[in-house]
Amino acid sequence: MTTDTPATGGKKKKSTTPSPTPVPASARVTSSEAAALLAAVRNMAEGKYDVRVDLSGLSAESAQLAVAINDLMTRVQEDLAESNYRRERIQHVVDNAIGGLMVVVRQGELSAFNTSTDDPVLAPLLDGFGKVIETLRTFVREINEAALRLSSSANEVLAASTQHESSSTEQAAAIHETTATMEELKHASAQIAENAGSVARVAEETLNSARSGRGAIAEFIQAMQQIRADGIAVSESITKLLRRVERIGTVVEVIDEIADRSDLLALNAALEGSRAGEAGKGFSIVAAEMRRLAENVLDSTKEIKNLISEIREATTAAAGAAEASRTATEAGERLGSVAATAVEGILAGVQETSDAARVINLATQQQRTATEQVVASMAEIEDVTRQTTQASKQATSAAAELTQLATRLSELIKRFKAD
Amino acid sequence: MAAQPDEEVFVFRTGDMALGVLSARVREVTRMGPLTPLPRTPSFVLGVVGHRGEVLPLIDLLRFFGQGESRPTSRSRFFIGETGSFMAAFFADAVVGLRRILLSDKLPPPLGGGSQAEFLTGVVQSPEFGTLNLLDVAKVITHARAKAVIR
Repeated sequence: MTTDTPATGGKKKKSTTPSPTPVPASARVTSSEAAALLAAVRNMAEGKYDVRVDLSGLSAESAQLAVAINDLMTRVQEDLAESNYRRERIQHVVDNAIGGLMVVVRQGELSAFNTSTDDPVLAPLLDGFGKVIETLRTFVREINEAALRLSSSANEVLAASTQHESSSTEQAAAIHETTATMEELKHASAQIAENAGSVARVAEETLNSARSGRGAIAEFIQAMQQIRADGIAVSESITKLLRRVERIGTVVEVIDEIADRSDLLALNAALEGSRAGEAGKGFSIVAAEMRRLAENVLDSTKEIKNLISEIREATTAAAGAAEASRTATEAGERLGSVAATAVEGILAGVQETSDAARVINLATQQQRTATEQVVASMAEIEDVTRQTTQASKQATSAAAELTQLATRLSELIKRFKAD
Repeated sequence: MAAQPDEEVFVFRTGDMALGVLSARVREVTRMGPLTPLPRTPSFVLGVVGHRGEVLPLIDLLRFFGQGESRPTSRSRFFIGETGSFMAAFFADAVVGLRRILLSDKLPPPLGGGSQAEFLTGVVQSPEFGTLNLLDVAKVITHARAKAVIR
């Protein structure tokens, strides 16, 4: 720009050179005067604006021209001086701006940039700079904020992924435990299935036993009824026997009475014989024999009476026993029917037990299948968890790296002072 | 008396005593019949009984000897003893029968042998009865009559 300015001036001089063209119309200009004018113009063309044409000795026309040239020279000189002054001002402003930019670049100090100027030409430029710097400040502020946020977020991510990592490790352990537990459950359900099978077997056996028990109870009840009938018959027989024995007792009483009388008669006969002296001796002997017979009969009847009383006691005891037997058989029948009811209940219960055991067996088999599926699923989950753990490890390291990066970014952006 | 080697006695028991009476003094043995108590008689007279149209006093020998009381039952007997024209019925718990005893075995009644000794003609030791007391029925009847009359 600075170099252009004299060129323009030069051009202006050249364009003004043809202006004396009307001069030749006055053909009264001498050659010496023309030379002096030419020299003056030449000086101007060479940039020597302080040279003036000497008006002395010039014709009127030449003097007029010379004045014009001198005026032009002065004018050019003034313009040049002003132009220089303006150039210096601009230079100063530009230097200031460059200095500010240098500060911006070297120290990152964005707040120190001054955009004020009174130059209307430079104002938009500086304004543009200012806007750019302002934009940069905004950027720096936002980046700083973003870096801070990024740092905290990265820290959070790091914490989260670390936690996730430990969680997934725990999860892996839990899954391992669950798998072990499911294995145990599988074994347990196999055991249960086996036990349910044996329960079903036992129930089947019990069912058979209870069925045979039912038959036995029916036979028992029948036997009891038979015994009761027999007992009634025995009781009747005993009553009859007792009646006969009573009759025998009556007869024996009669015999006894007769024997007693015979005894007395024989005794008195013996006394009579004795009183008859020698003649009655034989009679006495016979009477004594009769008496012995009567005493024998009395002994026998006494024995019979004893026997009868024994028989009476025995028959009374037998009647009591028959009565007790009847009561017992009735109780037995009742108990038998109770037992029959109970066995029916047992049959129903055992049937239910058998069914239940079968259902349990089936259910445990299903459970075993389900458990196996769960174990398989658990293995898959374990795989996935392992991958997750791997991924979360990677995420942790990435988050750590991200944290470092955020720290670095923060440090970098700190070099720019926006405020 | 010595010419007879033995004599026949009627043997009975009353209480724990075995007593013998000469069979010639025993008229009859009979069963206990209805007994009619008599007022104002000695305690050994249990009452009167009817026998073949005659009313006889019934004497309890246990009471007579002061050795307790007899307890009549349906099986009890009494025998009718006689002496001269007097007769009395005697209570017997059990009648044994007629036995022959040798006179040589006969011993005198023991002195101080109790109140019954004065009414005994003697005693005989026998394996069947132990001590068999031979009762003097005539003396008993005489004594009883005397006592009853005095009262």
